[in-house]
Amino acid sequence: MKEWEALVSAALLGTARRPLDLSELPESVRGLVNGGDPERMLLSAAALLTGYRRAGRLPERDVTLLSRAPEDPRPVVGPDAAYRLAMLLFGERGNLLAEWLRTVHARGLRVPPERLPVLADAARGRPELRPLVAEAAGPRGPWLAALMPDWAFLAERSADPEVWTHGTTNQRHAWLTDLRTPDPDAARAALAEVWPSEPAPVRVQFLGALHTQLSTSDEEFLEAALDDRARDVRRLAAGLLAALPGSALSERMATRLRALISIRRRTLVVHLPAACDDAMRRDGVNPTPPRGVGERAWWFGQLVSTAPLSVWTGLGHPADELVRMPVEGCDRRLLILGWSAAADREQNAEWVRALLDGDTGLALDQVARLISALPRDQWATAVRPFLQDQLPTALVQALPAPWPADLGNLVLDRIASGGARGLAHVADIAAYAVPPECLDHALTRQVLEHDAAPWRRRLVDTLAFRRGMHEELP
Amino acid sequence: MPWIDSGSSPAARWGRYQGSAASPYRVCVDLSGPAYRCSCPSRKIPCKHADWLLKLRKVEPAAEPDWVRAWLDERAARAVRRAEPKERDEEAAARRRERRAERVAGGVAELDGWLTDQVRRGLGTFERGGSSAFAAVAARMVDAQAPGLAAGLRRAGEIAGRGRDWPGRVLEELGMLHLLVSAHGRLDSLPEGLAQTVRTRLGYTVDTAGVLASGERVADRWIVLGVIDQVDERLITRRVWLRGQDTGRPALILSFAPPGAPLDDSLVPGTAVTATLAFYPGARAMRAIISERGELKPAPQPPGEAVTTALAAFADALADDPWLDRWPVVLHDVVPTRTDSWSLVDTSGDALPLRPYANPWPLLAVSAGAPLTVAGEWSAAGLLPLSCWDGERPVRL
Repeated sequence: MKEWEALVSAALLGTARRPLDLSELPESVRGLVNGGDPERMLLSAAALLTGYRRAGRLPERDVTLLSRAPEDPRPVVGPDAAYRLAMLLFGERGNLLAEWLRTVHARGLRVPPERLPVLADAARGRPELRPLVAEAAGPRGPWLAALMPDWAFLAERSADPEVWTHGTTNQRHAWLTDLRTPDPDAARAALAEVWPSEPAPVRVQFLGALHTQLSTSDEEFLEAALDDRARDVRRLAAGLLAALPGSALSERMATRLRALISIRRRTLVVHLPAACDDAMRRDGVNPTPPRGVGERAWWFGQLVSTAPLSVWTGLGHPADELVRMPVEGCDRRLLILGWSAAADREQNAEWVRALLDGDTGLALDQVARLISALPRDQWATAVRPFLQDQLPTALVQALPAPWPADLGNLVLDRIASGGARGLAHVADIAAYAVPPECLDHALTRQVLEHDAAPWRRRLVDTLAFRRGMHEELP
Repeated sequence: MPWIDSGSSPAARWGRYQGSAASPYRVCVDLSGPAYRCSCPSRKIPCKHADWLLKLRKVEPAAEPDWVRAWLDERAARAVRRAEPKERDEEAAARRRERRAERVAGGVAELDGWLTDQVRRGLGTFERGGSSAFAAVAARMVDAQAPGLAAGLRRAGEIAGRGRDWPGRVLEELGMLHLLVSAHGRLDSLPEGLAQTVRTRLGYTVDTAGVLASGERVADRWIVLGVIDQVDERLITRRVWLRGQDTGRPALILSFAPPGAPLDDSLVPGTAVTATLAFYPGARAMRAIISERGELKPAPQPPGEAVTTALAAFADALADDPWLDRWPVVLHDVVPTRTDSWSLVDTSGDALPLRPYANPWPLLAVSAGAPLTVAGEWSAAGLLPLSCWDGERPVRL
């Protein structure tokens, strides 16, 4: 509106510097402002034009429409759960957000879409939440990510083969992992196709995707990767092959180990390897020990942890006897640690039990790793002997959550009966680690005395909060 | 659950709280105030129990028990006693009114001179920001008991020297202030409604009792369109926009609280309250208080309008009150989109821009490119979306 522009420049300059000229104004406005001094006339004209401009404002035209995101068929959670989400986002229980999102997903529900931006912002600072938020966003995820680059992680899940050829590294990694579960061979083939042209860090990241559904069909590819130009790729390939039962690599390791061990007069006799040759290096043995560790013991330790445990039982004694045997030729702890790693990798229940029962002096977090290698229905039995007067905080902490229900009840029962050291720590861990089936434990229905310990109040509050959370998500 | 016998009625919310004391505290909130009573020894008002009571999510409707009824009656009686005029007060009040009118007139005259000076010297002097110059005049307007003029000056001061088009926006504010100055000079000859509007814009307040006693009363089922809290340093102002289901009339309910204190949370988008509102006087009366409050119920999506219809209604309202700066709109079948800035487009391709600082993301996430109904505040700066409907689910933005 040029009349308005003219008025603005007149006001900017000032009537003292240039005489006011209102001849440009529309007739209707001029008729109302005539008379009085120029300053007041200018202000009156400004008021009138402002009124005209505000009242006569026209809508904008020719705006571009955004594309439409595909429908999300999942129903939105109910109002109570939506309110709970606000508490998780804006209150003090942000550490339960992951559990809430997982439960919503498991129930086939979706989050109220207006919360997705806040959730996405929260996930920017908490990477462990990203896949969960992407899942919660559903088809809206890629749609929002296209508008807001900060939320690119919402677009990482896509089955579109274009992603594999043109996506970002993270998107491609997600594509590969997603394909690996339903079609492991296709995933490996896709990786083999691009393999020579990827830089080393990307090769390491992508190779990690083969952990899932690892099988003998992967062996040829992995065996070739043992000659890769990057050390990290070689080591990772060796690790994968060692985890593959019956692989040529684990056979080679077994052969090396067999030559070094024997049993004489019910004693395990060990000869440490004399050298770390090129073949051993190729199979992933790291030749350089950390400070303070002898190099021959270091090489031997790696052989023990990568060779199959059947090499040991092949000596003619079961695991529980081997674990208790006196050792000659090396520190017994070297064997214990190697066996633990191998038992964890092989998920070998016989060896796990032998190591747990065998007075091995393992640290509590290593014990936890062994226990988690057992079938879940055996965890409670394995943990029970540790719940004495001094509760094993480090063990309880290292057991992956959510625990099996019987373990949850066992720990809560122990807390309820009291009279132990470490109750507060274990209670703080158990409050979040017990599975939903345990949230109705008798402990939560006790009326708390006014002088009840703060940790007890925290435990009961947290369990009750989680119970409410699960009840709202039927 | 420490609450016993909690309940709510249209007028109040109550409960007995079993804390550490031997007998439970009786806690009651009169929702019309809101006003609080609790039998606990705390001196803080509202005490934590009243605060918790308001935050309780599940309170069943119930008949008011005797102790609640008794307190509500007592409060109502006190309000009536307060409203009864006393002759001596009348005289004093008349003197006070006269004194205030003189001071306001003095302020208006001073502002008139100041405005004229600025235009003579040119607005170019504010190139490097002018908030301190504006703040100084604004402070004198506060002294002259004309806070409405002070607010306009502060707005202009915030704009001056900032952004590409600041001279135009400052001139708009100064023009509207000048209009107020000249309207003040003709207050006696203006029609009653417009005169009231001018007085309100100058900063004269009308007390609640007066509005309840003589304000225009409209009974309807009032649909809650949107709620927004404006947080200043020492005060939270909550604006609740209503629209009468039968009358189609817009209404604005304001409530105030210091930061941290609770505001009435019962009026949320997606509900409607059957009530008689008493309107503050003015040529385009919108601000109101709830005089008689009936049932609060979930309400379906309000019917919306097209962009051109909404703009036409705003133009119509401006004709009554040219200073009108916020106007409630409900747009149906609009899609949020981005060209240069965010905007909402209706089915005929007409679009309204969002306010520059409005957060568009929750609205976008709900829409995902699909049309929906959006309620918001329209102003010269753009539209501030307050609520939208995700199917039949109301969403407060």
